[in-house]
Amino acid sequence: MKKKFLVLMTLLMSLCLIGGCGSQGQSASGNGETEDIRLMVWAPSEDQSKDSGEWLRKCCEAFAKEHPEYNIHFVYGVADEATAATTVAQDPESSADVFMYANDNLTVLKDAKAAAKFGGIYEQEVIDTNSETIVNSLRSDGYLYGVPFTTNTWYMFYDKSVFSEEDIKNLDTMLERGVVSFPFTNSWYLPAFYVGNGCTLFEDGTVEEAGVDFAGEKADDVTNYLIDLMANPNFVVDADGSGMAGLRDGSVNAIFTGSWDAASIKEILGDNMGVASLPCYTLNGEEKQMYAYAGSKAIGVNATSDNMVASIQLAIYLGSAEAQRLHYELRNVVPCNTELLNDESIAGDMLVTAQNDTFNNTSILQPFVSAMSNCWTPVENMGKGIRNKSVTHKNAKEQTQAMNDAMNSNGL
Amino acid sequence: MEDVKYGSAKRRRMINDTIVHVSLAILAFIWVFPIIWVVLTSFRAEKGSYVSTFLPQNYTIDNYVRLFTDTTILNFPKMFGNTLFIAICSCILSTFYVLATAYCLSRLRFKLRKPYMNMAMVLGLFPGFMSMVAVYFILKALGLSEGGLIRLALILCYSGGAGLGFQIAKGFFDTIPVAIDEAALIDGCTRWQIFWKISLPLSKPMVVYTVLTAFIGPWVDFIFAKVICRANADYYTVAIGLWRMLEKEYIDSWYTCFAAGAVLISIPIAILFMFLQRYYVDGMSGAVKG
Repeated sequence: MKKKFLVLMTLLMSLCLIGGCGSQGQSASGNGETEDIRLMVWAPSEDQSKDSGEWLRKCCEAFAKEHPEYNIHFVYGVADEATAATTVAQDPESSADVFMYANDNLTVLKDAKAAAKFGGIYEQEVIDTNSETIVNSLRSDGYLYGVPFTTNTWYMFYDKSVFSEEDIKNLDTMLERGVVSFPFTNSWYLPAFYVGNGCTLFEDGTVEEAGVDFAGEKADDVTNYLIDLMANPNFVVDADGSGMAGLRDGSVNAIFTGSWDAASIKEILGDNMGVASLPCYTLNGEEKQMYAYAGSKAIGVNATSDNMVASIQLAIYLGSAEAQRLHYELRNVVPCNTELLNDESIAGDMLVTAQNDTFNNTSILQPFVSAMSNCWTPVENMGKGIRNKSVTHKNAKEQTQAMNDAMNSNGL
Repeated sequence: MEDVKYGSAKRRRMINDTIVHVSLAILAFIWVFPIIWVVLTSFRAEKGSYVSTFLPQNYTIDNYVRLFTDTTILNFPKMFGNTLFIAICSCILSTFYVLATAYCLSRLRFKLRKPYMNMAMVLGLFPGFMSMVAVYFILKALGLSEGGLIRLALILCYSGGAGLGFQIAKGFFDTIPVAIDEAALIDGCTRWQIFWKISLPLSKPMVVYTVLTAFIGPWVDFIFAKVICRANADYYTVAIGLWRMLEKEYIDSWYTCFAAGAVLISIPIAILFMFLQRYYVDGMSGAVKG
């Protein structure tokens, strides 16, 4: 009995050992001209689905054709830009060599030492083909951490039959003409009003020590404006998809969201769909521009990759004009390559224009310093407070100060 | 005074009953309400996550059809199959572990019995996902974190610790008289035969309970599946799939399908329960008479 048990245990353990070795077996042996390599690539499932044209597979195959020196075995995985960075950071060694991430997750990647730096000719190529703002959105401590392929921000979708080109320049004019819905209790959107009146986050978004300046008269004025805005019968809070539902049943004429909702809105409004960058709002008789948080989505390379050169080359290829054009054609992903943006067929697209106008003119770079994580809840609470009428004209000053204090503290 | 009391006894009971039943009805309604809402939403023809009316204006079964036909982005049938396979395997394994452990601790006397029970108690106080990261790295070292072996990894995760949850089953075995075991021993039964042929048939309610909990655990688990599957979409379970349907990019077009998926995942559990329910009742009847 005992003997049997022992034999069984030994067998089990040796099996485990073999299993452990098996996973590390890599076929990276070079034989002169062609090198056998295995590249793991992660992208959102839409980039891999047959219905939307298999962007990833097409691009990877094109890349392999351009590089006969490699004999590449691609392994595809599914990870969307919002969560890829966390998944990679969890265990870089068994993560993709090349993945796509949203730039606000850069700190997560850096903390896990999971993102490779781009230097030399590769860095130069990214700089040459992109605007400075977008390149800066992927820089940290002077190093570049990815190849941008689209911008990530929000703007305004409206019903052309309700608002004219002139109306959409000012939010208050719009409110006279129709019903506007805004994600008032979402702290990705609400700061647009504060930033519009001169409030700042970490100076230009990179100086952590500078802290947040959402205090003083400039912020109080905005809080008071927002209280009045909430009282406007033509203003509706957009929460849990209610704005989209309003567009659908016709009770709302304009909402603020991003390219991810464009297809649904097109279906609802059809030819009446208008897209524009953010409007101004009238504060104490003066026009103030709203500013959205903006970021970028980029192709990153795993710092622990076994095939660093090939991975970087693939990342550069996936972010190239050619790949971006295909991405736009297949999935309407708004390109950011400067050369493509001058292309007439692309520049004529309303959505592309609105997104890029917003990125270039009516947005600030969303700060990705660590202290930014303290800034979300206080703003959200301010929005909820105004909605619940617990923030009033009477206590606006104290409440604004409290929000500023909370944004500047780490809660400990 | 007394007359009045006698005269109203029946009426009072009726009033009492009415109050009790009305309040029970209200409570039952509140309890079933969210479920009804999910079922209604799963048949809703209007798109989007938010609608201004409580009841759907139009009904359709397209949401269910889409779940099984639109598989290029979120492959629900595959996830359903994965989950079913994993849940069935871990259900069988952990039911066996739990019952065997409980039986040993109830019937056998050995040195480690007390220490084991204490240890199990203490370990049981910690939430299971506390060890998640460690479990992940162990599975990775064994080469189980890639490809088809992910299924095996998940089965191991869900069933491996089952032996710690023996308490309820042990309590049940304790109520079966030891005299039966002794009689069987005298007749020449081995311990295994006693367990398999005598104790188990006498403990049907317990077996049913163990099977149900052992099935539901992996069937609804999200956190382990998420940590272990990572980017391997082919091995996603329904919990991950449903969660993904609520992400920013999908929520508007997938919300009603999400409700349909939620209704569908309750079906295997319901079937299992209906099938096993009768054993809940007649488990002990007339069996134990010493």
